[in-house]
Amino acid sequence: MTARTVLRNEWRLLMADRALRVVLGLFAVLLVYALANGVVWMRFQARTVEAVQAGNVERTRAIAEELAAIENGAEPASRFADPRAPNVLGGPRGSHTAVLEPGPLTALAVGQSDLLPYYYDVNIYTNESSFQQNGEVENPLNLMVGRFDLAFVVIYLLPLLVLAVSFNVLSEEREQGTLALTLSQPVSARRVVAAKLSFRALLVVGMVLAVSLLGILVTGGFSSPGRVLLWCATVVAYALFWFVLAAWVNSLRRSSAWNATVLVGAWLVLVVVLPAAINIASGLLHPLPSRVQMVTAQREASNEAVNRRSELLARYLEDHPEMAGGVVAEEPGLGALAWAATDAVNRRLEEVTSEHDARRAEQIALVRRYRFLSPALLAQEVLIDAAGTGDARFAGFQSQVRAFAEQWREFFVPAILASEQMDASVLPDLPRFRLEDEEGADVARRAGVPLTVLGALLVLAGVGAGVGLGRVRGAD
Amino acid sequence: MKHIVRKEFTDVLRDGRFRWCSVLVGALLLVSLGHGWVQARSAQQEHAAAQATARDHWESQGEKNPHSAAHYGIYAFKPRLALSFVDEGVDPYTGTSVWLEAHRQNDFLLRPAQDATAAQRIGALTAAQVLQHLVPLLIILLTFGALAGERERGTLRQLLATGIGRRELALGKALGIAGALALLLVPAALVGAAALVVGSPGPAASPLARGVVLAGVYLAYFTAFLALSLAVSAWARSARTALVILLGVWVVNGLVAPRVAVDLSKWLHPTPSALEFARNVEREMAAGVEGIPRPDRPALTEQLLAEHGVERVEDLPVNEVGVYLQESEEFGNRIFDRNYGALWDTFERQGVVHEALAVVAPLLAVRTLSMGLAGTDVEQHRHFATAAEAYRRDLMRRMNGDLAENSRTGDTYLAGPELWEETPPLEYAAPTLGWVLGNRILSILVLGTWLVGAVLAAAARVRQAEVG
Repeated sequence: MTARTVLRNEWRLLMADRALRVVLGLFAVLLVYALANGVVWMRFQARTVEAVQAGNVERTRAIAEELAAIENGAEPASRFADPRAPNVLGGPRGSHTAVLEPGPLTALAVGQSDLLPYYYDVNIYTNESSFQQNGEVENPLNLMVGRFDLAFVVIYLLPLLVLAVSFNVLSEEREQGTLALTLSQPVSARRVVAAKLSFRALLVVGMVLAVSLLGILVTGGFSSPGRVLLWCATVVAYALFWFVLAAWVNSLRRSSAWNATVLVGAWLVLVVVLPAAINIASGLLHPLPSRVQMVTAQREASNEAVNRRSELLARYLEDHPEMAGGVVAEEPGLGALAWAATDAVNRRLEEVTSEHDARRAEQIALVRRYRFLSPALLAQEVLIDAAGTGDARFAGFQSQVRAFAEQWREFFVPAILASEQMDASVLPDLPRFRLEDEEGADVARRAGVPLTVLGALLVLAGVGAGVGLGRVRGAD
Repeated sequence: MKHIVRKEFTDVLRDGRFRWCSVLVGALLLVSLGHGWVQARSAQQEHAAAQATARDHWESQGEKNPHSAAHYGIYAFKPRLALSFVDEGVDPYTGTSVWLEAHRQNDFLLRPAQDATAAQRIGALTAAQVLQHLVPLLIILLTFGALAGERERGTLRQLLATGIGRRELALGKALGIAGALALLLVPAALVGAAALVVGSPGPAASPLARGVVLAGVYLAYFTAFLALSLAVSAWARSARTALVILLGVWVVNGLVAPRVAVDLSKWLHPTPSALEFARNVEREMAAGVEGIPRPDRPALTEQLLAEHGVERVEDLPVNEVGVYLQESEEFGNRIFDRNYGALWDTFERQGVVHEALAVVAPLLAVRTLSMGLAGTDVEQHRHFATAAEAYRRDLMRRMNGDLAENSRTGDTYLAGPELWEETPPLEYAAPTLGWVLGNRILSILVLGTWLVGAVLAAAARVRQAEVG
């Protein structure tokens, strides 16, 4: 009896089972539904990104027009929004919006993209509190529940399907009395189970990958082959983990009912209870610092700064001689005084934020160790990271925006301090945000550890299954 | 029947599976209650302290033009309500503080979830989640074999041969299982009540009454699940079939339906993008909309001059700037009401989609009621946001009024600490229990229907159950 015979036989058996056909059909429907949801969301974000970029062009055009008109002798439209003033051209009116394009595989995993901001208006007043803004307009209830995307189907529902098609892969043969017959052929229990499960794995994983690839094709994700590969590898490793776990439980030679109970229990513990318990434990042991104190700190800094403007300007010029450009601290213009206060508030905010962020990073590093206990958490992390909707990509974007804001200030502040006016000649030189998106290699590096652990869990279950199945005899 | 109850009760307690599962669920329940309490309490203390500091900043801002004070504004921090330790609801996804300043209605900022990691989004565990997800699972595990198992073993025929009625048998089983569950749930409820009485984490209107109704909601949910499980156990051919069906129900109830509701609600009632929303407000503020024109300053000045019978603004008994500022506040308020009102209404309609889907998943009704009673749903966030905005408008009215009344056009006018202290602090009254329940009629009806339907189904199925 060859593996091919087993496979052909399995196909006939599966197709003869009406309940199983229904379950597989339902799963296919859910996969397509999840993908459709993701595609709709990705298109929504892509449209917003387009509108944001159009806004950048529109703002620059309006300013260029007004500057040209002023050059031809017209008066500025408003005394307070004179585009020649560096704190107007570099302020909210001339601000440049830095954008993060949707992650290449957003259609497969919405991840954090419905929660975290993906564009920021940058101007000279951009500071740490600017990063405290909300992301997309979204019903908090919907954020709480989360989306029905492919990542959700893979993490929660795929294991249940795997267990449904494989919990009795060996026990059923025994219960029907066909095990002795099968094993009387020159084939080991290991081979039989491997063949049966490979067939089922091919079917189930094939469905998930086919729908994933369809989504990637529709949304143009193939331009990041590294991410596609990582997504597929994670889906395969995660699904295989559950198949091998089922094989292991089957190798214990208990009844189908017992297998089902144990496997459902394992799903419950690994997918539902452990992630929750980990979050509770981390909340108790390593609570995240709250941002509320930042509001107060910011307020106090600005109160103080307003009262000590002149003193602050003197200190600012001492600290930043490159910005001074020959300004004498004793006779500063109003703009210079205001800037000194703004800068003092920013410095204080940076202090408070960096303290907060350091504590937060520490806590998160501690929390992240526990995720090795749950294959579901590992898979989730790699899946959304591969999709480009994980925490890391957003953090990377934010730090690039921070650097860009610094560049923006360097462009305008010397003119503010010197009370100079600007004209249309500076427009071509204005800093423009260019995202340096992470490479496939960066994502792969981050995925290295979690994928290795997932692989190790897979191997562990595989060894258990292999040893157990070696002991199975036809006479059991 | 007493014997049946006692037998089922001791059977359950002796069963190793149940002991392990209930120890696990009980531990998770107690830990999540404790964690929720600690967290809610410290958050509330922090918010109260921040609110006091904000008031302090307001009062100690020194001499200023009232309009400068209006620009300086004040921060409002959302209080954590007493029962939020049982169910934190949408709180991690709504902002915690809002800046109340002149000319603008701002968004709530600082969403705790934005500071957390993606892992927290798939595994946040509160007491409410243990009650909504894990306890029903426990009920399923205890009940799926109650009748189907007896039938498979052939003991059902024997039992009925003793002369006991089918209904008594089923009721006895149900009561036995309920008794075992009570060992787990009653202590947790007592711990929760004690936490509320001894050290309430935060303010709330009638927290104990809310707590009692909350307990009633969960009791109805568990009873419905128990009855449903019994019905399936009576109907299914084998215990295995009963288990598979009930697990299917559990997955749809807890995993699939809630997320389908999200997409369905967004599809039926789409929200604008943040960009569209902001641009729309900006555009309407700049140009006004039909029926809400921008205040016309020259016309307003003319009207003032005519009203007071003077020629020059300097001769007016009021400061024209203050009057105009208040006019433009009123204009802005109408624009904000239009836009934010529409957005909140969309959120509410989306919430109704979630509630309506409770027809297939009772969890959705229970979750809605639970968050409502805990004071952590979207509607109560809106309630606070509305109170904060009303406070902002009152503050602006006072500042502009002071400017208009106590100075003349063109004056350099500074107000002092008396004005800041005269402004009352923000005092928020959480909505009453009646308000909450009144908003939630749909969920109450659906949950009630589930309860009655499940009990009737159980009765019918038990009556028709095959013996062997």
